[in-house]
Amino acid sequence: MPSVGGYLDGVLFGALPYVAVFTFLLVSIQRYRGHPFTYSSLSSQFLENRQHFFGLVLFHYGVLFVLTGHVVAFFVPSWVLAWNSRPIRLYILEVSALIFGLLSLVGISLAIVRRFDVAKVRVVTSRADWVVVALLAFQVFSGVYVAIAHPWGSSWFSSIATPYLWSLVALAPDLQAVSAFPVWVKLHIVNAYLLVLLFPFTRLVHVLVVPNPYLWRRPQVVRWYRRPTGAA
Amino acid sequence: MTRARPTTCLSIVMCLLVGAATATAQDAAQYFRQNCASCHTIGGGRLTGPDLAGVAGRRDRPWLTRYLIDPKAVIDSGDPYAKQLLDEAGGVVMPTPPGMSAALAESLLALIDAESALPRSQFAGRQVSDRPFGPADVAAGDALFTGRTRLAGGGPPCLSCHSVGGVGALGGGKLGPDLTLVYERLNGRKGLGAWLSAPATPTMQTVFRQTRLADADLEPLLAFFEDAARRRAEADAVAPLTFFLLGLGGAALGAVVMDLTWLHRLRSVRRRLVDAVTSRGTR
Repeated sequence: MPSVGGYLDGVLFGALPYVAVFTFLLVSIQRYRGHPFTYSSLSSQFLENRQHFFGLVLFHYGVLFVLTGHVVAFFVPSWVLAWNSRPIRLYILEVSALIFGLLSLVGISLAIVRRFDVAKVRVVTSRADWVVVALLAFQVFSGVYVAIAHPWGSSWFSSIATPYLWSLVALAPDLQAVSAFPVWVKLHIVNAYLLVLLFPFTRLVHVLVVPNPYLWRRPQVVRWYRRPTGAA
Repeated sequence: MTRARPTTCLSIVMCLLVGAATATAQDAAQYFRQNCASCHTIGGGRLTGPDLAGVAGRRDRPWLTRYLIDPKAVIDSGDPYAKQLLDEAGGVVMPTPPGMSAALAESLLALIDAESALPRSQFAGRQVSDRPFGPADVAAGDALFTGRTRLAGGGPPCLSCHSVGGVGALGGGKLGPDLTLVYERLNGRKGLGAWLSAPATPTMQTVFRQTRLADADLEPLLAFFEDAARRRAEADAVAPLTFFLLGLGGAALGAVVMDLTWLHRLRSVRRRLVDAVTSRGTR
């Protein structure tokens, strides 16, 4: 008979990922078919743009770099391990990841302060936005904490987390190693599943329709008048 | 809707139980390799725990089953033989074997009986040479530990998750325990060699299930750990701080670079208009 911890691990690491991914797929498609014009992250740049830049830009570039690292380690873990086979190269990769992680952390913190601080922005922030921003902040914080407290993540992600994630893809979850992870690594993983789960219900859908030139085009001012549905 | 008859349900349950028991018997050797061989041999001498050859002659079946199911409870009960085992193991309490049940204990004891009767059991343990290790062995082990030489079995380098005092500019990993004194903790070459050949923790088992440590890699690693335990180098306490400060400095630099990159970004058309009007004064 599994212990309470074993049962919880089974639910969080063996069942939750499937619930999250299937919800993500079904609701994302349904929302795109039914409400295509809601596929956006309503800009608040027009309402306040002094604090906007450092919140937004630091967070997005930080997350893009770190997330790309996770994706590469998922698809080609052997590349990451080959790169890390010299300690100096491992250290360069880990310090780079920490730099972008910290940029994300500073960015999301500034974005939260701005949403609290600026009355106009606060008014257009829905409950779902607050949930998203809280989950993102926790995700980034736990990621940075894990990077510092449990190095070297790029190597052990490729050796331990990647086989676990592929066991999920193969519909034969192997939870043996993941159940022995330190609690902050577990929290980071579970929170990631929650983000995937809530993705299609929130402004995170903009990730699916982001025009790539956003990354390098000149900034532009956006204005909108409509009070979003569900805004406080 | 038809309801399943109780006898049918009972038959299915019985089939499952019998099937499970058969599978357990077949899996006993696999279980022993994964969970017991890191500390015990059958006929190969003592490791952290005693040699289990002929264990059935030392205690009776019920006692052995009780001990297998919960070693700590038997020790705590004040049993003198359990106390003696604990003393011989240098105070290391045998961990409760994962998923242990009376049925599994029975199949393990049957396996140990059968293996004890063989001239050489498959669990007699690896033979590790007694020759003194030299600097070349230590260097080869260092290369394996840090990843400069790939493990022949294909496993990831130890540095990914473990540290040893004095290794690397920013130290080793911290997902797993520090291994500076692991050579002493596991009673030297034989104990550590057995552990590395059949690691007993869930993480190591998962990682090395498909990428078992090759025989050729064992001795260099033992040499490296023996040397580490002899040097007893302290882990660099400043390394984590250096790592954090490098990250922080890089992040500050990154923010400045981004600010400079978009120096001429629009800082709001409206604000410029307002500022212009304000500086002119209203007419």
